[in-house]
Amino acid sequence: MTITVNGQKREVQSPADTPLLYVLRNELDVMSPQFGCGLAQCGACSVLVDGKEVRSCVTPVSSATGKEVTTIEGLPARWAKQKGLSGTDAGKTLHPVQQAWIEEQTPLCGYCQSGMMIKATELLEKTAKPSDAEIKAAFTTSGPSAHLCRCGSYYAIVEAVRHASSIMAGGAK
Amino acid sequence: MKNSVETTHIFGAQLSRRGFVKAGGALFVGFTLLDSKDAQGAVAKNSLDPSQFQSWVEIHADNTVILRTGKCDFGQSSLYTAYRQIIADELEIPFESITAVVGGDTDRTPDGGGTFDLLGRGVTSLRKAAAYTREAMLELAAQRFGVAKDQLTIKAGVISGGGRSVAYGELVKDQNLKLSIPVTGDLTTMFGLTVDGNPPLKPVSKYEVIGKPYRNSIIPTKVTAKETWVTDVKVPGMWHARIVHPATLGSKLIAAGSVDKSKFPNAQIVAKGNLLGVVAPTEWEAIQASRQVAASTKWSEWKGLPGQPNLFRYFRQDADWKSTTVSRSQKSGGDAASAMASAKKKHAATYEMPFMKHAPIGPTMALADYKADGTVTVHAHNQNPQALRGQLALMLGVPVDQVIVRLYAGPGHYGRSNGGNAGAEDEAVLLSKELGRPVRVQWMRGEDFQWSTQSPAGYSDVQIGLDANNKISAYTVDHYMPAMQDDRPVGAILAGLPTMPAPSPGGQRLANTVNGNSDPWVYDGVLNLEERAHGTYEVGQRESPLGVGLRDHSMRTPGQFQQNFPREVALSEAAALAGADPIQFRLDHSKEERLKNILERLREESGWQTRSAPNPKASAKGNAPVRGQGVSVMFRSGSYWACAAQIAVTPASGAIAVEKITMVVDPGVVVNPLQLKRQVEGGSMMGTSIALYEQVEFDESGVTTKDWRSYPILKMADMPEIKVVIVNRPEVGVYGQGSEAANALAAPAIAAAFFDATGKPARNLPLRPEYVKNLLKA
Repeated sequence: MTITVNGQKREVQSPADTPLLYVLRNELDVMSPQFGCGLAQCGACSVLVDGKEVRSCVTPVSSATGKEVTTIEGLPARWAKQKGLSGTDAGKTLHPVQQAWIEEQTPLCGYCQSGMMIKATELLEKTAKPSDAEIKAAFTTSGPSAHLCRCGSYYAIVEAVRHASSIMAGGAK
Repeated sequence: MKNSVETTHIFGAQLSRRGFVKAGGALFVGFTLLDSKDAQGAVAKNSLDPSQFQSWVEIHADNTVILRTGKCDFGQSSLYTAYRQIIADELEIPFESITAVVGGDTDRTPDGGGTFDLLGRGVTSLRKAAAYTREAMLELAAQRFGVAKDQLTIKAGVISGGGRSVAYGELVKDQNLKLSIPVTGDLTTMFGLTVDGNPPLKPVSKYEVIGKPYRNSIIPTKVTAKETWVTDVKVPGMWHARIVHPATLGSKLIAAGSVDKSKFPNAQIVAKGNLLGVVAPTEWEAIQASRQVAASTKWSEWKGLPGQPNLFRYFRQDADWKSTTVSRSQKSGGDAASAMASAKKKHAATYEMPFMKHAPIGPTMALADYKADGTVTVHAHNQNPQALRGQLALMLGVPVDQVIVRLYAGPGHYGRSNGGNAGAEDEAVLLSKELGRPVRVQWMRGEDFQWSTQSPAGYSDVQIGLDANNKISAYTVDHYMPAMQDDRPVGAILAGLPTMPAPSPGGQRLANTVNGNSDPWVYDGVLNLEERAHGTYEVGQRESPLGVGLRDHSMRTPGQFQQNFPREVALSEAAALAGADPIQFRLDHSKEERLKNILERLREESGWQTRSAPNPKASAKGNAPVRGQGVSVMFRSGSYWACAAQIAVTPASGAIAVEKITMVVDPGVVVNPLQLKRQVEGGSMMGTSIALYEQVEFDESGVTTKDWRSYPILKMADMPEIKVVIVNRPEVGVYGQGSEAANALAAPAIAAAFFDATGKPARNLPLRPEYVKNLLKA
């Protein structure tokens, strides 16, 4: 079985019914998606599959064959490709979502934030300038469950999504 | 290298020059134990690498500085921001000179102690260590220049005097310097070691680094997937485990189930007493095999809990509140009984708070590597690694120097492990020992709800008497709450191995059932005050054949939330009885200037309508939302807090929307306004969540809450607008806390706002729609 993870084709030995989360973390050493519930109820394990957020804890790896899986590790390259950056520029550029998450000092414990950034990326690739209502809807009702943050970083996330949107549009905050 | 040691005494510390080194050079700040029962041996032997010095502060020849602390980061950011700032100021160095902060690892950090009160007790030792260090650097410069110490000045790590200047790095270059500072305490207890003595501390007026909005250095590594989380640690030969916990909180193992070897050829079952684990080379095999084992395992039946619907009846009628000494608060005084008897008006009510979960987003996990020589290394995310080390050594019956705990970033769990145990650590150690290989234990979501500790439920009976002037003439309260801190590792209990004692009336500190007065009284205008706190055993603790029951543990503001909620909601109700505005009513009973100041700021900043409650437009009926405002106050760890909540209630549906939370905090010295603001925002969200949603469900056998559907928490779409107002009071001289108190304020303010909106008092939590509809019908 072969899946594409962050632009690289990866051979997978795990049984076909293994959740993508365990394949990424334990077999392929792609560590950013975290185990939160195993029930698609929290969003800590979210990854992009062909640009759409899925919960890797309940997604069999077999369903990702032939598709493009993107995690936080792959966000800088995804952005570089979208912007046509190459070489050294691409190497030193973070994805605007990551930049915004740092500049807004968004994470508290940060365990949920990989999934939050995946959801933000999915949103901003579809809706370049989301309203606050659209941001809240994306993180609450657009997926299998709301994305949960126990530390309460929701306000900081909204600010960071707005900030990322403005970076992506090429402007300062 | 010379053998001679030159020693200089500095404010009770000793500076030694132990010859010279060929390359580098450094000043290390270690310690001399003044008194300690068991720490001496532990400290002497607890390093993997004997050459690695366990120093608080290291100054290197390249002018870089490393800090080491037994405390950990759970998302507060304090280690990476406030600690750096406080120590940079005390050492007179730039913030950027501190290139690393090592937190928690038991073989790499000096002091231990739980991760709580980080800017109070937590940072004080490190700050004193830094002050001793600065004085030592001055001593070295004085010797070099031949100038008296008081003729020297320091600016950005450069000491000047007598026409000469030298950087810290130059002073330690090629040297092997050790500064030995006086220390007391016991390393593996709740509080760890404390730096003693009184080195001169930098005056607040001279702070340059404290007060600035530095960024948290761990955020970039976390958001770029470069941080090693505890969940990411792998060691060669590691297998994955899942625990099959008993069917109830009192069940014993009758027969372990089996695994279909044709499906799961590598899975192994490990049983030790009532601890049952399933281990396999891959995580997916361990998960699937453990489900099969769980389905075929036989446990004894047990029913010994009252069940959530009967909890408060059980507390009133059946719980033993008599065996435990009643605590009376320090401020209790006057003659509350007579004053209450002659009161013109009286408010008397009971307030009930449910069991709540810390509910980390990631369930507890740990990786243990038990070696053939009897030593074990545990990779964990824990708030008190040295105490965990002590607990694991007790369980194994070995000296503490055979246990090492390494700390990593992980999901915050808000107090649950500040006494040493988050859940999975002891189970990982036992399975690793049985199998002779490293074992990673990951609890599943349901286990984290059903087998971890909880924040204890409680209730309070409050009476407030008003005099002819509508002022409080008497206040009495009786708080009831079971034991709040149970640090026994549950795996050790199940395996029948030694643990610290369960809470009991005569137990030692942190293992007794005493309910302290945790919420300091702030209304000094009240002359007749009687505050009593009653404690008892944990629910089911003595009935369970395992001795487990509903284990409790501190959460953010342990015990204080359970006492502050009743006080603040009752005070708002008393204000209504007095026909007074609830902010003005509080002001009228306050003498403390800091408290008055934040209440006045809250009134200005929150859009407060000055009037008595309920709102003239209040209604308990209809489909149209009705609006209300409420206020709450808390004093904790040197900080004054005031909160206003503005809410909308839809009576027909029972739905509550928290529209805005305004928080005013006076922490004394504001160390980092940016990080404090984020902490207060986060706490406000958790507080809103507690007010609206959170309650542990349990039946007669155990916790039935098992996932995020049965334990709902706040979602982004339901978050309030937040306004944070930070009041800097450097003259107060204390560093207040950010993340602990912030989450306690919202619930009493929201309950008071509910009364304002509807005219019906809300005295129990959570304010879920069904409960709200019942309240409005009453």
